[in-house]
Amino acid sequence: MVCVGVVANPASGRDVRRLVTGASVFDNAEKGAMVHRLMAGLGATGVDRVVMMPAGSGVSQSLHRHLSGRTGHLAAQRLPELEVLDMALCEDARDSAAAVRAMAERQVAAIVVLGGDGTHRVVAAHCGDIPLCALSTGTNNAFPELREATVAGMATGLVATGRLGGDGLVRRAKRFRVGVNGDAVVDSALVDVAVTAERWVGSRALWRVEAISEALVTFASPSAVGLSAVAGAVDPVPRTAPFGLHLSLAPPERAPRVVAVAIAPGLVTEVGVLEARRVDPGQVVALAARAGCLSLDGEREVELGPADHVTVRLVPGPLVIDVDAVMAGASRLEMLDQATTRRADDGNHRPTGPGQQGAAPGLVPHDADHPRVRGAGAQGVHHRRDPRVRPPVCG
Amino acid sequence: MHKEFTTGEIPGFVHLYAGEEAIATGVCAHLRPDDYIASTHRGHGHAIAKGCDVYGMMAEIYGKRDGLCRGKGGSMHIADMDKGMLGANGIVGGGPPMNCGVGLSAMVRGTDQVGVSFTGDGGSNQGTFLESLNLASVWHLPCIFVVENNGYAESTSDRFHASGVDIAKRADGFGMPGVVVDGHDFFAVYEAAGAAIDRARGGGGPSLLECKVNRYYGHFEGDQQTYRAPGEVDELRRTRDCLDAFAGRVTAAGEVTAEDLRRVDDEVVALIDDAVARAKAAPEPDPADLLTDVYVRY
Repeated sequence: MVCVGVVANPASGRDVRRLVTGASVFDNAEKGAMVHRLMAGLGATGVDRVVMMPAGSGVSQSLHRHLSGRTGHLAAQRLPELEVLDMALCEDARDSAAAVRAMAERQVAAIVVLGGDGTHRVVAAHCGDIPLCALSTGTNNAFPELREATVAGMATGLVATGRLGGDGLVRRAKRFRVGVNGDAVVDSALVDVAVTAERWVGSRALWRVEAISEALVTFASPSAVGLSAVAGAVDPVPRTAPFGLHLSLAPPERAPRVVAVAIAPGLVTEVGVLEARRVDPGQVVALAARAGCLSLDGEREVELGPADHVTVRLVPGPLVIDVDAVMAGASRLEMLDQATTRRADDGNHRPTGPGQQGAAPGLVPHDADHPRVRGAGAQGVHHRRDPRVRPPVCG
Repeated sequence: MHKEFTTGEIPGFVHLYAGEEAIATGVCAHLRPDDYIASTHRGHGHAIAKGCDVYGMMAEIYGKRDGLCRGKGGSMHIADMDKGMLGANGIVGGGPPMNCGVGLSAMVRGTDQVGVSFTGDGGSNQGTFLESLNLASVWHLPCIFVVENNGYAESTSDRFHASGVDIAKRADGFGMPGVVVDGHDFFAVYEAAGAAIDRARGGGGPSLLECKVNRYYGHFEGDQQTYRAPGEVDELRRTRDCLDAFAGRVTAAGEVTAEDLRRVDDEVVALIDDAVARAKAAPEPDPADLLTDVYVRY
């Protein structure tokens, strides 16, 4: 039995950025609808069960409305069984952490995360090497992607069931390990670590860029929103590069370089950059001591006194499913073809293209008679398996 | 009040604000004397935070002639127009329409005053609340709708009375921003409320601020709270107390010393004790007071 975990954070998309920036509103009913669509993609690719973190505030209600309202074409689709974890809720980040631990015990083959950078940070800290499918529920995020959940479900299913394997489908992200006063407080970040002069964690969100003195990013994308965009405007660093970037910031009037970036949705700000230095894997960076707050992935998390010491080290992060690469690979291997596809040698037209001439390097078709194996689910993608990949048994 | 109510000297009902102090404080710290608030049946904290005279409030709670409403209102009708306190309110969901009135008044007169209404999670299910969100949004009024979501509408858990959607999300349907903050955290409330109030004062229109919080006592004094799990309140007091959290953080940050806080505590205790003693000793209203302040000539 192939299981996939789902963490849909009901609390994401509700912070103060709706007041102080133009951050998007992402309704919880839509998160529930996304899980339904995700399940359609997972079911079509042979996933047997979805193990989901309990999600109140409208997420579960929306999901169940969609599940119970399936008629017509929707009713004909196979869906995985849905198991909602039986766990006490704290209604904060501890829920995501506990849910991921429970999913790991059940040996889920992948975890789909619906949330922002902060939600992904918590999940990544506890998921080990279980691959993540990172879905953004809003426009204020750098780590997860905004994409259609149905397709993300199909890609996750192809990886989770082991029907598609090989290089390039799942990539290793980077992560910062953050220590305050040695290991007195240990946390992590997937995108950025920053020190701000703001004294209180307050409403958490980080948007007063003029208060930020230092920032580290795991990747620097000019097309991102937030601190990654600041670094990206100076010295782009791909997600796949082994290194990160360490920025020293200053007010624009005191900085040799000033860049205009989208620090938050709807908020383009001038940022002064004093210096940008590469951070190599394993390198320990000590941040300059100052009273203020330590921000992780765009949220103030730890209040710092002037004597507190913060060290940051770039370490390997979670495995992340590359949805585009998986779907492209599935296409090249004709894994999306239905059993009813007529063969070219039947004398009927069957479209071919450069990408369909054979398996791409690194991609693994599951067996010799690929891709026209019959007997798969009538509505689904062929239920075949890469023999090199043994999907875990759901416990 | 929890102790005093058992003496039988306080007429009517009282509903205690203990556990929710960070909200009224964090919001009202941004308000000017000429801004207005519309409160709830659980309004003692709002009244103090808006600057009402504590003795006048206490005398009102005891139904005495020196009370802010000359003893006619009691705990659920503490009002002080001079301080911008439109009143505690015995009608659940009664504050938001008054908030719209404040906003419309400020808009018509061209002032930069703002209105703030406080409502509970139960009140947020009232039509008055939803209608007010609509009106404030349509008219782009300088109003902030604060929802103090303490998880219970009287004795009904929000699991049973709300549609499972964050109350802040109801703002979406009316085209205004809605945000959620931890109502136990003074700094979170203060920052978000400041943003909402600045926005309204600057012509940015209304917003909704949902503060997730807990109350320590029952819906009313005397409520047996059989709907709460055993030990729930003890755990909340131990782990989520907003006063303890505030004290811990400001002293750790070196902003305020523990001695400073002790001095403030002593002053507050003395102020309350004095207000209670004077209120208990204050004269009752007499029959001649019956119709004073009841009718207003326009």
